[in-house]
Amino acid sequence: MTQQQAPIHVATEGDREIVTERVFDAPRERVFQAFVDPELIPQWWGRRADTTTVDKMDVREGGEWRFVTDGPDGNTAFRGVYRAVQPPERLEQTFEWEGMPGHIVVETATFEDLGDGRTKVSTRSLFHTTEERDGMLASGMEIGLSESYERLDELLAAGGPVD
Amino acid sequence: MVQYQQQLDQAFGALADPTRRGILERLGRGRATISELAEPFGISLTGLKKHVQVLEDADLVRTEKMGRTRWCSLGPQDLAEVQRWIVGYRLMLDERLDRLGELLERTEGENA
Repeated sequence: MTQQQAPIHVATEGDREIVTERVFDAPRERVFQAFVDPELIPQWWGRRADTTTVDKMDVREGGEWRFVTDGPDGNTAFRGVYRAVQPPERLEQTFEWEGMPGHIVVETATFEDLGDGRTKVSTRSLFHTTEERDGMLASGMEIGLSESYERLDELLAAGGPVD
Repeated sequence: MVQYQQQLDQAFGALADPTRRGILERLGRGRATISELAEPFGISLTGLKKHVQVLEDADLVRTEKMGRTRWCSLGPQDLAEVQRWIVGYRLMLDERLDRLGELLERTEGENA
């Protein structure tokens, strides 16, 4: 049986990550909700000077998102894929600016209930160079392949159609 | 590739500090002298110069001496596009979290 692997971070992480921590005076469910509710996103996501519109937001693992922003510097868009959706604890997604395609940031947000009605949000943004992105895609293909083999194994083990 | 990674690492190191991010934000609105920059942060000129030096080493800021005044502005025009992108991302991330706090405050008591 092939062993399924966790999503791979190809980068040597080192200094190429940005980590933030914020405490919000709101319960964890409400804070998490702000990240996954398409009606709330335009109210906080992006720069103050810009208007953000949700074009696509399919909040589930493998689901795509795309937000369009319009402001003094003109119109642009950001997109990515949700990689882990674990309400109300953790959200992981890729982030790509369409103005510089191929530079992928993997954003992870974790939500910690502080027990007094407040929530600590820790974010981690890991930058990948174009070369690493290509490596990531290649690894993704390997995972995809091993998953296919796994399903084939299961099918065969279950005595499924082999003709 | 090695040089590219060094650039990235320097940019990240430079951005790891809130004062340096503040300097970049300020310079985004136009050039400023060292003392103009030092004032809102309440730090010494020497302390500020050190921050500016780090930003200059990462090509995020350039300085130019005119007479007795040193002017600071955002990095050279040939500054790697990637570095600009990272700076923009960092500033956007901070602003995003500020706005999230405001939203949560504004909607307190409402059902999420």
